[in-house]
Amino acid sequence: MRTLEAIKRANRPGPPEHSIRLRAACFFTVTAAIAACASMGEVSDAAAFGAIGLVALGMVFSYFTRRHPPGWVKIVVAAAAIGVSVWFVHAVSAPAADVTSVEDPLTVLLVSVLVVHSFHVPSRRDLMFSLAASAGLMAVAGAQAIDLIFGFYVVAWAGCTVWGLIEMWASASDGGRLAPTRLGIVLATVIAAAAAIFLVLPAPQVAAKLNLLARAGDGGSIGVPGALAGDAGSPSQLSRPGTPGGPTRVGGYLGFAGSLNTALRGNLGDTVVMLVRAQRPSYWVGETFNTWNGESWSATDSATQTLRQQSPFVLPLPLGSNASGQTDLQTFYVANSTANLVFHAQSATELWFPSSKIYYSTDDTIVSPIGLGKGAIYSVESTVRTPTAGQLRTAGSDEQLPAAVEASSLQLPHAYPRVAALAEKITAGDTNNYDKVESLIAWMGAHTHYSTDIPPLPAGADTVDEFLFGNRVGFCEQISTSLAVMLRSIGVPTREAVGYVPGPYDPITDLYQVRANDAHAWVQVWFPGFGWQSFDPTAVVPLANPAPGTAALAYIGHALRRIPIVPVGGALLTFVVAATFLHWRRSRPLTWAERIAWSAERAGRRAGRPRRPDETFSEYAATLDDLTGSGSGAWRELAEPVEASAYGGHHPPPEAQRQMVRRARRLRAGRQRDEDRDLHPVA
Amino acid sequence: MSRLARPSRNAAPVAVAIAVLGIWWLVAHNGGSGWVQAMGDVVFGTLFIGILGPAVVLTCAKINIVSAPVDCTAGTPADISFAASTRLRVCARTPFEGEAFVGPVGRRQAPEHAVALVPQRRGVLDFVTLDIATASPFALQWWTRRVLLPLPSTLYVAPRGGRPDSFHLRAHDDTGAAIDWVQTDAGQPRGARPYQPGDSRRRVHWSATAHAGELMVRELERPSAEPVTLTVVLPQDPQEADRVAERALGTITRFLERGSNVLLATLEASGPVTASVADRRGAGRRLARAVANASANANANANADTGYP
Repeated sequence: MRTLEAIKRANRPGPPEHSIRLRAACFFTVTAAIAACASMGEVSDAAAFGAIGLVALGMVFSYFTRRHPPGWVKIVVAAAAIGVSVWFVHAVSAPAADVTSVEDPLTVLLVSVLVVHSFHVPSRRDLMFSLAASAGLMAVAGAQAIDLIFGFYVVAWAGCTVWGLIEMWASASDGGRLAPTRLGIVLATVIAAAAAIFLVLPAPQVAAKLNLLARAGDGGSIGVPGALAGDAGSPSQLSRPGTPGGPTRVGGYLGFAGSLNTALRGNLGDTVVMLVRAQRPSYWVGETFNTWNGESWSATDSATQTLRQQSPFVLPLPLGSNASGQTDLQTFYVANSTANLVFHAQSATELWFPSSKIYYSTDDTIVSPIGLGKGAIYSVESTVRTPTAGQLRTAGSDEQLPAAVEASSLQLPHAYPRVAALAEKITAGDTNNYDKVESLIAWMGAHTHYSTDIPPLPAGADTVDEFLFGNRVGFCEQISTSLAVMLRSIGVPTREAVGYVPGPYDPITDLYQVRANDAHAWVQVWFPGFGWQSFDPTAVVPLANPAPGTAALAYIGHALRRIPIVPVGGALLTFVVAATFLHWRRSRPLTWAERIAWSAERAGRRAGRPRRPDETFSEYAATLDDLTGSGSGAWRELAEPVEASAYGGHHPPPEAQRQMVRRARRLRAGRQRDEDRDLHPVA
Repeated sequence: MSRLARPSRNAAPVAVAIAVLGIWWLVAHNGGSGWVQAMGDVVFGTLFIGILGPAVVLTCAKINIVSAPVDCTAGTPADISFAASTRLRVCARTPFEGEAFVGPVGRRQAPEHAVALVPQRRGVLDFVTLDIATASPFALQWWTRRVLLPLPSTLYVAPRGGRPDSFHLRAHDDTGAAIDWVQTDAGQPRGARPYQPGDSRRRVHWSATAHAGELMVRELERPSAEPVTLTVVLPQDPQEADRVAERALGTITRFLERGSNVLLATLEASGPVTASVADRRGAGRRLARAVANASANANANANADTGYP
């Protein structure tokens, strides 16, 4: 019974809300949320405009029926809400529906609830519900946002929400309004609290598969099955090996072409190639190579199979991997046409891809049958194993590479006596492969230098010999190739991998921005029991997992450095001067009599009859009464106590002062009808 | 009084806040979008400030009484002016009743507000106990704090004007004919003076009128009768004591209206006091100060019907 009573009490209608400002703030908040969803493509523009119009209509209807809301409206609203909820459950649970497409029905549900609810918002509590529901809508829209443009909607929505909350306090406190200074303090505190939470809490991670996306962009089909494409900015044009005079593709790393010419780096630029949302930063693997010819890497002996099934594709476990490890969900948003390689964190196990087939190689290379142009989206689940150094040092030999793979991962085109001697000298004291790799990486970090500003190697020159025994300056392909050859020369199974480094992390969008010049080459070393493990000799300092706080501070610092000082400084200076002037003007508190006089003069100016310097306030009030034509003498009634106060020292009680100021304000605003109603209230 | 604020009916806002943040966390957890997290942090900051902010505002709020009447009557509103540093809802505690908002409503508005508080009991008050509350800035959660505000001057709350004791008024008139008759022209004639509006026609001096040519009335000296002594013994029960004081005030008022001198004997906190009262206000103050007499309470039962010896 107590529960029943509590439910009845909770459903008891609240007092009618008379504040038009509060209703306006709620309307604009809901409008901002619907517009945000429309910008994300979750509702069509026509539907968004229709919903906004209906919400406006509902708000007006609710205002005029706030004192006595019709009973049928509540029934209709409840029935509509139940109906759309049933539709939502049906939409997300239908067998044919994709569980990944829950967000569009959810958007429709929330928009529909907001629309029908706007016709029954008589009280403050109902308006509060509108604000909360708009927050849900923004969350759904924000889940789809991958760029900073969405920030405009966030700012608009947050501003309207704060406005609504402030109006709510004004309504609840019978007119209490925050002074601008206090409002500034409140907003600053809110932002500080939000920033503190943002910096302290870890970033949210994709933990469920409800939202894994797959969408074809403007790539088009590729004529040769399983071939690599993406040359010259066209996602369907087949790739060619890089040449010194060849074109540089958009995001066109020369290695994404079936072979990797280590003599060339190319000018990649900083075009954003793709955005990646992932649980942790990884090297996004595109291709691996096992055959080295002294100048280029190529992939041989890797069995490619065509997987034909519905998305998601269940991928065979990569060689040497097992099912244990941490799950890493990644979603790739292609921003510019790139190679039709399906980039992924190492050891991909499941793929959501917008096609009916893919080409999968046992060397962890996945090739798309369609070109990957702008707008393409795919998601990958990887099982990542991150063994510790101790585990790698004690990695057993119970799991050996297949003979053919082992041969190819130790393959060398010719003997490298100087390289082998150098490698053996560096790793002389090491007893396991891990220590040997670390020693060689440390040596390269101490004795080589990174630069892309070097001329192409002469034709026929061996890259490793040129690098290790020349000036020891090169780029990542040469550095990683040198490490791979050194490891192979001492019997450690190794292969070359190309792809992208994670790129800078944007804490606002929670996305890694992968640019063309993030293309990278690194080394993978075989460890029994753990499979292929990546080592990057170019980055001697291991890649750190970026904390959101650190990344945000770096982001802010980067953004601050890009602010143009002169115009922004000028604008700030203007603002400070204007604010100081306004503060100086308004610092002197006006008395109630001055406020009435100010209202009268403003009303007169608006009516085209400013006050003359030689005119007493009574005379001016009489003129105003004649101007308005009401004949009520309202301004004269106000002028009497004002002059009695100014010249006679007779001050009315504070409550009377307040009423007179309010009355003057209404007269100034021209709300004579309100004035008459207050003077002659209906019993 | 504690400066610490306490939440008022905090279950609903906190539950809603937790629900909103929980749903938000689910969306962020499943969607993994940084925008969702950023907006969630803003929502959290807003809820955080909206729920806890009023406690800070209330703790820092300053409120005092600017002006208050010296005398008032129980059950009748007394206008008390408050000055508050921020907008506050004040709810008067015993012996007052009343609720209103005080404090500035705008940047230029004077922070003083007169609030009509209704004292429910007679007494002498130097302080007013209030529950002040605010939900500033977002009206998401109300917090309250109890404050004890000193009055600018001692406030005497007189008892309500009760029915006068009819026994004493009729002591010398047991015929019943003069129950409601009030003697207003008692005294010895001293002379004659011109008529003034309000003079009783019974006092018209016709001879002097004929002599002077205008309407003349007798001027009477006040009777030199012995003053009426009223001893008020209040019982311990506060409500019963108020009823006794109300009857006493009614009786005193009637005596004063008859022109009688009234000596009022009461027991105050400082001891027994016997002094004449000149008017109703003086009587009200005396009765406001009166306290119950524990030793005489045994006799109170015998005089419970009148309250007087």
